[in-house]
Parts: sequence; C-alpha cells; structure tokens
Amino acid sequence: MAAVAEHDHDHEHHDHGPAKGILRWIVTTNHKDIGTLYLVFALAMFFVGGSMAMIIRAELFEPGMQFVEPQFFNSMTTMHALVMVFGAVMPAFVGLANWMIPMMIGAPDMALPRMNNMSFWLLVAGVLMLASTLFMEGGAPAGGWTLYPPLVLQTGAALPFAVFSVHLLGISSIMGAINIVSTIFNMRAPGMTLMKMPLFVWTWLITGFLLIAIMPVFAGGVTMLLTDKFFNTSFFDAAGGGDPVLYQHIFWFFGHPEVYVMILPTFGVASTIIPVFARKPLFGYSSMVYATASIAFLSFIVWAHHMFTVGLPIAGELYFMYSTMLIAIPTGVKVFNWTATMWKGSMTFETPMLFSIAFVVLFTMGGLTGLMMSLAPLDFQYHDTYFIVAHFHYTLVPASVFILMAAGYYWLPKWTGHMYNEKIGQLHFWLSAISVNILFFPQHFLGLAGMPRRIPDYAVQFADWNMISSIGGFIFGASQLLFLYIVIDTIRGGTGEKVTDEVWEDAAKHGLEWTLPSPVPYHTFATPPTLIPTEHI
Amino acid sequence: MKKTKRLFACLTLMAFSLSTAHADYTLNLMKGSTKISNDVYDLHMLILWICVFIGAAVFGVMFYSMYHHRKSRGHKAEQFHENTTVEIIWTVIPTLILIAMAIPATKTMLELDDVKDAQMSIKVTGWQWKWEYDYLDKGIHFFSSLDDASNQVRQVGSGIDPRSVPNYLLNVDKPLVVPVKTKIRFLFTAADVIHSWWVPELGWKKDAIPGFINEAWTSVDKPGTYRGQCTELCGKDHAFMPIVVVAKEQADYDAWVQKTKDEMAQGSDLSDQKQDDLVAKGAAIYVKNCASCHLPGGEGVPGAFPAITKSSVVTGDINVQANLILNGKGMMPAFGKMLNAVELAQVITYTRNALGNAVGDEIQPKAIKVLLPEGSGTIASAKEPVKAETVDASVKLSLDELVAKGEAVYTTNCAGCHQEDGAGLAGTFPAITASAVAKGDMTKQIDLVMKGKGMMPGFATTLNAVDFAAVVTYTRNALGNKVGDFIQPAEIQSLLAKAPKD
Repeated sequence: MAAVAEHDHDHEHHDHGPAKGILRWIVTTNHKDIGTLYLVFALAMFFVGGSMAMIIRAELFEPGMQFVEPQFFNSMTTMHALVMVFGAVMPAFVGLANWMIPMMIGAPDMALPRMNNMSFWLLVAGVLMLASTLFMEGGAPAGGWTLYPPLVLQTGAALPFAVFSVHLLGISSIMGAINIVSTIFNMRAPGMTLMKMPLFVWTWLITGFLLIAIMPVFAGGVTMLLTDKFFNTSFFDAAGGGDPVLYQHIFWFFGHPEVYVMILPTFGVASTIIPVFARKPLFGYSSMVYATASIAFLSFIVWAHHMFTVGLPIAGELYFMYSTMLIAIPTGVKVFNWTATMWKGSMTFETPMLFSIAFVVLFTMGGLTGLMMSLAPLDFQYHDTYFIVAHFHYTLVPASVFILMAAGYYWLPKWTGHMYNEKIGQLHFWLSAISVNILFFPQHFLGLAGMPRRIPDYAVQFADWNMISSIGGFIFGASQLLFLYIVIDTIRGGTGEKVTDEVWEDAAKHGLEWTLPSPVPYHTFATPPTLIPTEHI
Repeated sequence: MKKTKRLFACLTLMAFSLSTAHADYTLNLMKGSTKISNDVYDLHMLILWICVFIGAAVFGVMFYSMYHHRKSRGHKAEQFHENTTVEIIWTVIPTLILIAMAIPATKTMLELDDVKDAQMSIKVTGWQWKWEYDYLDKGIHFFSSLDDASNQVRQVGSGIDPRSVPNYLLNVDKPLVVPVKTKIRFLFTAADVIHSWWVPELGWKKDAIPGFINEAWTSVDKPGTYRGQCTELCGKDHAFMPIVVVAKEQADYDAWVQKTKDEMAQGSDLSDQKQDDLVAKGAAIYVKNCASCHLPGGEGVPGAFPAITKSSVVTGDINVQANLILNGKGMMPAFGKMLNAVELAQVITYTRNALGNAVGDEIQPKAIKVLLPEGSGTIASAKEPVKAETVDASVKLSLDELVAKGEAVYTTNCAGCHQEDGAGLAGTFPAITASAVAKGDMTKQIDLVMKGKGMMPGFATTLNAVDFAAVVTYTRNALGNKVGDFIQPAEIQSLLAKAPKD
C-alpha cells in the first residue's frame, strides 16, 4: 500500500488531459474515452448488422429467389443476430455504463480502468474474428445465432473461429460486468446509498450479475460443440450417447437471461428519462428496483419455454409455462409505473422523451405477444414462425434500440457541450417509429398465417405482407442514417447554441451528471460531490 | 376528446378486422380441422382479446395523460409518488388474469400431450431436405419431397413467376395420406439434423431430433388437403421441404393403402437400358436429389459440397461410386434408401457421362440390385455393412505379392477419400503419403484401420484377412512410402478374431 501511495504522489497536482493523437484511443483508461469507443463501435456494428437485415428483407421482398443463395441467406440471418446482439446492443449499453455510471454515482472513474481498456479491445477482436468468417471457405455460420447442433457442426472452416470469437466476446463481457459491479459497490460518493442510486445504475448492477452468471455457461456450451467437432467427443451426438437437446438447455440457460441483459438497462434509461420530461419523480422507485430484481431472478428459471416443441415431459411443459407467465407481473409493474409517472405531470416532448414513450408503448406490445406465447399449447402453433420474429423484434428494436437512441439524444449535449438539431431529431423519431411498425407489425400476421422463420423464400399467400414489411424495413434502415448525421453534426457543433450544465429543465434534481459542466471535463469528481439528488426516488 | 374518440374508433375497427379475418387466411391463426386445433384457436382468441383489452387500457391512460398533462397546455406537475394501495392493485389484478389464463391453457396442454389409445402409428423421419413416412402397421414406406414445379421456380434467378405454380413451395411429390376420424400417433425422429414437422391446421408442431423419438397425435375431422412446412432451421434447403397431408374417408384410404401396396410389391423393371437412355433419365433424378448441394452444373461449393465435375470418385471405379451413393458418407445421405435400383443406375451413369465428365461407362439396374439389400427403396436400413467373405488366411505371401494385391483393395476402399495417389484432401482427408500412421508402428495402423476414427469407418468387418494384410502392406510400401515391413494374413486373422464385433 505504501508503494502505491508514493507512486500516486509523483503524479499529484498535474491534471493532465487526454494523450495526443490516435494513441489516446488505443491506450486510454479514461471511462469517458472508453465509453465513447464502445458507443462508436456499437453504432458502426448497428449499421453492419443493419445492412445484413437489408439483404434479408430484399430477398424476402417478393416470393422466389432473386438475389442470394439459400446458404448465404442463412448466414445473413445468423450473422445479423450475432452482430446485433454481441456487436451493437450489448456494447452500446456497456458504453453508456462506462460514460454514465461514474458520473451518476459521483466516482472519478471506473474501479478497474486498465481492465476496462482490455475488455473493449477484446470485444473488437471478437467481433472482427466473427466477421472474418464471412470470407472463409464454406461461408459464415449459417445455423442460426442459437448455433444448434447437429446443424452447426456442418459449418465449414468458420466453426472454430465462431466458437473462439464467442469466447473472446464472453471474456470481454465478463470483464466489463465485473468492472461495473465493482465500481458500483466500491466507488459511490458518500451518502449515495444503494437505494438512492439512479435506476440506470441499479439495472446495470443487476445486469452485471446476470452476465457474470451466464457468459461462462455459453462459453462452455460452444466449447462442447468444438470438442464434438474436432476431438471426437459426443456431448450432443446421440450415436455416441449424447443428446442434441442438451445443447438447447445449455444455450437457453444462457440465452434467456441474455435477452434480459439487453432489456434491463433499457428499463433503467427509460426510468431516468421519463421523470425528467414529465417533471415528476418516478412513481415507484423501490418497486422498480424490486421488479428488476424479480425479472432477473425469473430469467434463470424459465429457459425451456424456448423449447416447448422439443418433446419435454408434460410436467416440464407446465412448469415452464407457469414460471414464464409469472414474468408478466413484474413487467406489468414497470409499465404501470412509467404510466403513473407520466400521469398528472407537465410533459414536454423532446426527442429523448418521444423515443422513451414509443419504447413504453411498443415494448408493451412485445410483452403482450410474449405473454401469448408463454402458454405452451399456443406456442405449439407460434413457435419458430414470424409471430416469434415479430415478438422479439418488438422487444429489441423499438425497445432496446429506441432507448439507446433516446439515451443518445438525452446525453449527447452533456457529452459534447453542443445541442443536437431538435427538428431533425424529431424527424428521425417519426420516421423510425412509423417505419418500425410497418416493418414488424405485419410479421405477426405472417406468423399466424403459417410462415416459418429463417426461410429465404415463401408461399405466395405471404407475398403482400412480406412486401409491406420489406418496405418498412428499407425506410427504417435509411432513417437511421439521419441519426448518424445528427451525431456527427452535434459533435461538430450542432445548432451552435451553448448548452447549460443542466441541459434539460431541472435535470440536476434527477441526476449528478447534470451538476457537471457541459461538455464534461476529461476528469470529473476527483473529489466526491456532497449533495446527492434524490428527486428520482 | 375528439382525438380519443377517433382512437377508439380505430381500435374497434382493428379488432373487428381481426375477428373476421380468419376466413381469408392471411391475418390470423387457422381454426384447422381437428378438435385440438380448434381448442388452440379458441384459446388463442381468448388471450388475444385479453391482451388487446390490457393494451387498450394502458395505452388509453397513457395517451389521455399525454394529451392533457402536457406543459404546453399549462398543466402543472404534481409531485406524488409511491402509493401502496395502487401498487398492490396492479400486482393482484394481473395475477388473477394470469390464473384465469393458466386454467384453459393447462387443459389444452394435457389434451395435446395425450397420445394414448391411438388406432394407428406413422413414423416420420426428417432428412436434409425431405420427409420419410413409415406406416408402422401397414408396411408402407416412402419419401416425400418438394414437387418438381416448385423446385424449378425456386432456383436462384430462375425468372419464373412463383404465382404460376399452384401451391408454390407447399406441394410435394407424394403426400402423407391418412384416414379421417382416426386417432393417429406420430413418432418423430431425424436422420441428420433437427427438423420440425408443422401442419398449422392440425394445431401443433413437433421437433424431429436425430437419435430421439418424439410423439404427437391427431385425429382429422374432415377430408381435405392440409399443407405445412419444416419449422426448424435445418440447412440451406430448410424452406424447401414442405409437408402435405391428405385426409381421406376410411374407404378411400383403404383403397389407397391397397394400391400403394400393390405398386410396392410389383417393383420396377430391372432390364438393361442403353447408356443414352440411362443418362437422359438420370438428369431429372440428379436435379431433384443431388443438385441442391452439388449444384445443377455439378461444380459443388468449395469447402462445403464436393464437385461432381472431374471428381475422382465419379471418374474413378464405378463400384466405389455406387457404394458411396448407396451408403452415404458424412453429410451425404444414403440414397440406397431413397431411390430404387433403376433410378440409382440412371443417376450414377448420368454423373459419369455429363456435368463435364465423359467416363463412357455405365451401370445397369441389375448391378445396383445386387448391391442393395432386399427390397430396394423400401428397406429399413441400408447401412448394413457388407460382410467380409471367408478366405483362406493361412497363405503366406511375399512383400511384392501383398503390395500388388493391396493396390486393388486400396482403390476400392481407400482411394475415395485418401485419393488414388495417397495425397489425401487437405483439411478433410489425411494423406497416406509420408503419413505418421502409415510410416509408424504397424500395430497402431492396423488398430486404426480395424476400428476406424472420426469419419473413417472401421474395416474389421468389411475386409477379409488377406485383403486387410495386403492393403496395410500396400500403404506402407507404395504411394511414396517405403517402410519395408509387411504383415501376413494369418496375423490379421488372429487380430480380427480378438477385435470386438460392432
């Protein structure tokens, strides 16, 4: 300890800014720089994964095979999902956590800054390795993002690379999660008790534990795929005494909490933004915390609802049906809370608020279809159809992605010191909100009418809704270029209007970050703040 | 107030269109033609309405609030929060709704699961990319794959309008025929990867998993044709393995059973055909059974599916090729099960004399028939290994004699993978030339050849002792290797005696 203290002493009293040049971004240990890296990388991957979705929607625009081979189509559905989940949504939330958690709890930086840098660069390595499989002999993985054996074992040269990239992404996520959890437990300003933390911090604390618990399970599962393929084991091969369904249990034990990894921080951001623009405290702070924790707990005991048709025993079918239905209760508590927060407020509708409201409405729709498919006998019809595709896209795109947009608009002025162009922001919102429904709502009809998912061509009675869905997809895809423009424009000066420290009316009552100057200095809270805002409670 | 009214009108309209839409097939679940599918439909409608009601209530409150409680209308924010009564209410009410949903769902689930007292059983096996049906108590057995018309249209860039084909992608060559008002038990399994068998009008889907048997049942109410698809991603042609179930009245069904049995008993005409005829007829069989992997032009997909054009298998020994096609290898299924002797002779001859190959030879249906176990096209398992013939293992042979004999054995049994010159195929099949195994300890090599490893089959039951000794000696003293040692058939015989039989 003495040595450390002495070493620190050497550097005292010169508040150095960022390193110069490109090296700043490679070696940085500053939570704001790393947050920026995560967010920029996530945005880039959002466009990569989005391009893949455009290829999918182009092929599905009309019946018949027009543009791509079926095998490549399958690679696209697989890679679209993997890139969006592991390259875009998860890193974007880690980026927000990096930027905001220290500022929200009054800490100078993350608890483990060097590991923070490493977890970002491992993410880049993992995603690049995954992307490189597109150029390999035999093509990228084409067995779906769930990587079910035996199909995935038919992958060509790409399989070991895909498995190793999952390992890298897993290590990166675990390190990120450990960092966030230790920051929250150890670095809070005096007076910032757990039950005074902003909800974004709470939801990330819980998400961090989810990640630490599930990523090793997934890594183990894909390693078993690797040994089945190359080392003559037969974990998933019935001919050698194994069981292909075992993989599905392992995968979904990871996979179900994984989808909550993408939605819990979303809840946190929504609970942060809505009170500010309703000019009211969040209706039920503690019930929101308990609801988040309940959802996280339930996520571990419901996984086989993804597997109702694999031939579970009847007791299993019923157990997983009942436990899944329970999730509706804490989720309902959340939706009612947001509604009650808006009730009798004094609302204004700037872009972050618009995206947040759209999130509440459209996420609720995704949640209601989720409730429908929790009923096992109904899932025997819905399973693996476009009804499912519509459901999970409603809970991911107009939920997680919309909230990420909301967060971008909400905090960009704080990060850059510039105001974004509100008019273009609202245009972006309306284009996105309308087109996302043209894109995904018809998919409910397609699924109910009998169209299976993951097919490159379909019977002609599905043609009309597919064309409408594709048109919605193209508009939605193109609209996101507006967001890219707004981000670049804001960084370069935006409207030119000088933003205040609070940016939004009375925001300082809701979070510590608004007590800091805009743009935020490179180092903040070198000494902890003394006043803790409790308006959000 | 006007806006809320309009919203309400809009919602009513949407709800109305939903309730009348099932007739035109494109908006809602089908009612179907079984009791189960009707129960599932009713449950679906019940839950859908509950969800629409909850959604309308929540969104109604939200939109009311967004309209009235806005700053631009001068609404002052109230600062209330936390209200235990309200929070208890909005926890308890959803719980009650959930219990109300769980009761009918449990009832339907139990019904769906009850496969007892079935009157007949059909075994369904998923293959990449077709379905195999076995009528377990009738001895009827056939494969069912995408119809030719759809198959032509669905090729990339075919330029043919899918609307010109009736039931595009939902039609098969041989549908599954079942009697109405009969409780039928289905047994599901798969030969390669996981598939899932779904006919929406029967009300359920069930996964077909290799190595496992799943059960489900149905009892169709009305005669008719019911169409469905594979719903578990199973590789490149997942979209192209539809399911068609034709339900017939008992009398019609009985007639169909009789007719199918007669056709099967008759068998096909095995008389010799001219090479040109074989090639001409083989083309269609190739397109239907081989082209989806090896491609219509035979060029294959590098890294995934080997080319037919200039392939060492297709241009090599015809019996080796025939054996490979009959028994399958790796991802390639055993076609001895799916095609009859005539079709096999045609497609084999076709591959050797078309697609850029011009070997010039042919194989006749009779020759295939010899290779096929009893009852081609309907056999239960084609993978029975060919039994080693009994030979006199006491002969003593010289190194040169063994090498000479071994060359023929190698060509027939090993060259298909390790190649004629022993160079193997990088990444897939190891080379024999300079291989550590072929140049190392001979007992280890013999052990490997007997038991097999990974993709390589064990040859303990397929080679006799003389051939075995000859081929091992050959690999060690030819193909670029010069170890100089050899082994006598008698020693192999004693090792074979010790080796476990399967």
